[in-house]
Amino acid sequence: MSESVESTPTLLRVAMRVREANMAMVLLCAISIAIVLGGLLIIFTTPLLTASWGGFFSHPGGTITLTLRTVWYAYEMIFQGSVINFHATNVLLHHWSTENFSTFITPLAGTLSYATPLIVAGLGLAIGFRSGLFDIGGRGQIIGGGMAAAWVGFTFNFTPVVEISLEIVAAIIVGGLLGGFAGVLKAYTGAHEVIVTMMTNYIVVLVMGYLLIQPLFAQPGILDGLSKTINPSAQLPEFLSHISTTLYFNFGFVFAIVAVFGTQWFFDRSKTGFELLAVGRNAEAARTAGINVRRSTIVTLALAGGVLGLSGMMQVAGVDHHISPTFGGSYGFDAITVALLGRNRPWGVFFGAIFFGAMATGGHIMQAVTPTNIDYSLAQVIQAVVVFCVATPALIIEMFKLREPARRAAVNAQGAAA
Amino acid sequence: MRLELRGITKSFGSLVANHNVSLTVEPGEIHCLLGENGAGKSTLMNVLYGMLTPDSGEILIDGEPVTIRDPKDAVARGIGMVHQHFMLIPVFSVTENVILGDEPVRPWPFVDYRKAVTMITELSQRYNFDVDPHATIENLPIGTQQRVEILKALSHHADLLVLDEPTAVLTPQEADALIMILRSLKEMGKSIIFITHKLREVLEIADVITVLRLGEVVGSTTPAETNEEDLATMMVGRSVNLVVDKKPAAPGDVVLEVRDLLVEEDRGLTAVKSVSFDVHAGEILAIAGVQGNGQTELVEALTGLRGVTSGSVILKGYDGNLAGAAVRDILHAGIGHVPEDRQRHGLVLSLPVEDNLVLDQLSDPRYHGRFGRKLRAIRENARTQITDFDIRTQGPELEAGSLSGGNQQKVVIARELSRELRVLICSQPTRGLDVGSIEYMHRQIVANRDANVAVIIVSSELDEVLALGDRIAVMYDGKIQGIVPPTTSREDIGLMMAGAGNAATSEEQA
Repeated sequence: MSESVESTPTLLRVAMRVREANMAMVLLCAISIAIVLGGLLIIFTTPLLTASWGGFFSHPGGTITLTLRTVWYAYEMIFQGSVINFHATNVLLHHWSTENFSTFITPLAGTLSYATPLIVAGLGLAIGFRSGLFDIGGRGQIIGGGMAAAWVGFTFNFTPVVEISLEIVAAIIVGGLLGGFAGVLKAYTGAHEVIVTMMTNYIVVLVMGYLLIQPLFAQPGILDGLSKTINPSAQLPEFLSHISTTLYFNFGFVFAIVAVFGTQWFFDRSKTGFELLAVGRNAEAARTAGINVRRSTIVTLALAGGVLGLSGMMQVAGVDHHISPTFGGSYGFDAITVALLGRNRPWGVFFGAIFFGAMATGGHIMQAVTPTNIDYSLAQVIQAVVVFCVATPALIIEMFKLREPARRAAVNAQGAAA
Repeated sequence: MRLELRGITKSFGSLVANHNVSLTVEPGEIHCLLGENGAGKSTLMNVLYGMLTPDSGEILIDGEPVTIRDPKDAVARGIGMVHQHFMLIPVFSVTENVILGDEPVRPWPFVDYRKAVTMITELSQRYNFDVDPHATIENLPIGTQQRVEILKALSHHADLLVLDEPTAVLTPQEADALIMILRSLKEMGKSIIFITHKLREVLEIADVITVLRLGEVVGSTTPAETNEEDLATMMVGRSVNLVVDKKPAAPGDVVLEVRDLLVEEDRGLTAVKSVSFDVHAGEILAIAGVQGNGQTELVEALTGLRGVTSGSVILKGYDGNLAGAAVRDILHAGIGHVPEDRQRHGLVLSLPVEDNLVLDQLSDPRYHGRFGRKLRAIRENARTQITDFDIRTQGPELEAGSLSGGNQQKVVIARELSRELRVLICSQPTRGLDVGSIEYMHRQIVANRDANVAVIIVSSELDEVLALGDRIAVMYDGKIQGIVPPTTSREDIGLMMAGAGNAATSEEQA
């Protein structure tokens, strides 16, 4: 291999070009690091492997084979559990039936289903981050939107189209008001949005706790706080329910894709989106150019809140169908990480959320099927390492000795020479 | 210290910032490094200060080849750097700033302030600095802050001082004081590298002048052997017109009428004290004055960035009082604004050039349609402007921050001039620009005057005020001391800037 590279300059040149520090390359390096670290973690936490390494010198070949096999199997199960199950694929190819198709599609459906609300929540946060506003109120805005949608969902009984539209509107309004509240405080009093949104989270969580035991929301007969279940007309239609009732993959995914395109348009083409961007980069210059910075701050946070509210609606109407006290849980914070992983780009957020979905779905499968029950947290470790690396591209560039992309290098040079 | 740079070459990718640059600074010499923005002066100094590693070439101190790895190394070898943007902590005292990073301790961890104060008082007396060691930085005038920077370098026993465009931020008086200080430092045997592009200063203080162009040394000379025109030619590579070429003004009707304007600054003190003036179409009203006498607040009030306590601003043909109106309305009424600090107020540096060129015209139907921003029209506009205004950039999609100062200013002026203007307000239009760009800006300003726009320029450069103004209003302490013709002597205007009213030469205010 190495010989052929040295003897073929074209190959070498390709290799050189590949070492450019573009996003794909950084991501690839990040995943490699995560896989290596995860592998070490498996070795250290699996008694069978630690024992085997203890006697490394008596049977080195066996130790290495066992280790590679175990680690490989864990990763393979994460993949098979979240994307494609090889066995099911094989069966499906030989014998086409809805039942086999259902088994085949289950991992992917699980991943996308988990990712759907996360995509939308990540987009909401990205709107704020791109304009320099750190909206930490994801959880509160998700809950606000979810509660509003749930209320509409169990109170009314219209046709699905009307009902779902109504849920969306209610969720966006409540989420938007929660975000806009922080925006107004920031614009008029200078209160820092991080503090305000973080505190709003507590308020909203406690208000939810209170409402869940009030007759308005509480499911009759249940005292420990669970809302009424929303009417079937208020539930987002399942795509695959005709194949199997255990397959969950709802219409919300279409909303998510629309939201990705919408956000993309908003950032690239809309005047408001551009103004938000300009204010985020340099508020003083924006103001000098006649942009209303106050209005822009309020609009940004309200819009971010609205999108997060929508995400809450999608969780309620698409997945949970009711509100439990743990609603919104950690996914308001996961969304922050997803936005970070996606570098606040709409498609970045989309794939970031799917990656999170895959790790969650695949991780559980892995824990269940590996002989030594490798813990689910392995998936979370991989997730964390990838996010960490993507958030610190400078580290990756240094570790792998990547070259700066040509264009940026030229810009830096000009900057240094000026 | 005798410093010798031999064959320094430094490139960034395909861009050669320094090519085979050699220069020698003798002990007790003031060596001026002259060159346009982007000529490689800062790169060279960053190499000397250990912030960049040269690709080739060597540095010799007192004949010994040395390697300077980082700024700490440079300081240890007696090189002191005074950056254009001060590296001082505003809320700390002079003493605290000077000793920061190298605090005298007795016993650890206590800082020996008394010793520090004594040291600073001694230094300050020895070099005639007149700095109070207990004063807080943010309360000191810019000129004094700069002296603190020099003091800091001297406290580290610097034998060679590098000053990067030290006069760019100073008033004429402060600049004179600095020049005195540099002369006395020189007498004590310190070597000084003085980076600038102000030709007058160079001729005044330099012992040796080295000119850089496009990363190479074009030549070395002394003030006795050269003059401003020759230096400018060396810098730019072609002959430059240093005198602003303009016909006598043909003023038309009054376009802008400012009456009894009262404006407060951030702390609530009155900064503009009942100012009244008129600006006619086709004339340039130059507002002169030492920085901090209310000019900034006046411009901010005229452009809507700052609220107005009382008074009126009437634009002919616009219904109502513009004082206190929203920025957007003022811009739409036909007022163009080239702000004082282009990087802070004029541009969003991290956005592309093309977007910066339409920053205040987002709703313009040319750039905004039914489906949002017209990206193609915006790109098209950028291409035209880049050609028309000769903006040197590798492309409209590049960040504005990647341009040199002069080209950044061209982006701002191009944007303002692409609207239908009735009044153009330029604040410090050529601050920090090189000779070629200054010439360009001046021509643009005069061309607008000739196109019957009412132009207001605010400048603390007396040369600029005298060269451009058709009438000169001198501001002092928030008031207009008088409005005089440009034939008034520098001395008289200088006196007015210092607060001496000059009613004799003052025109009657209309």
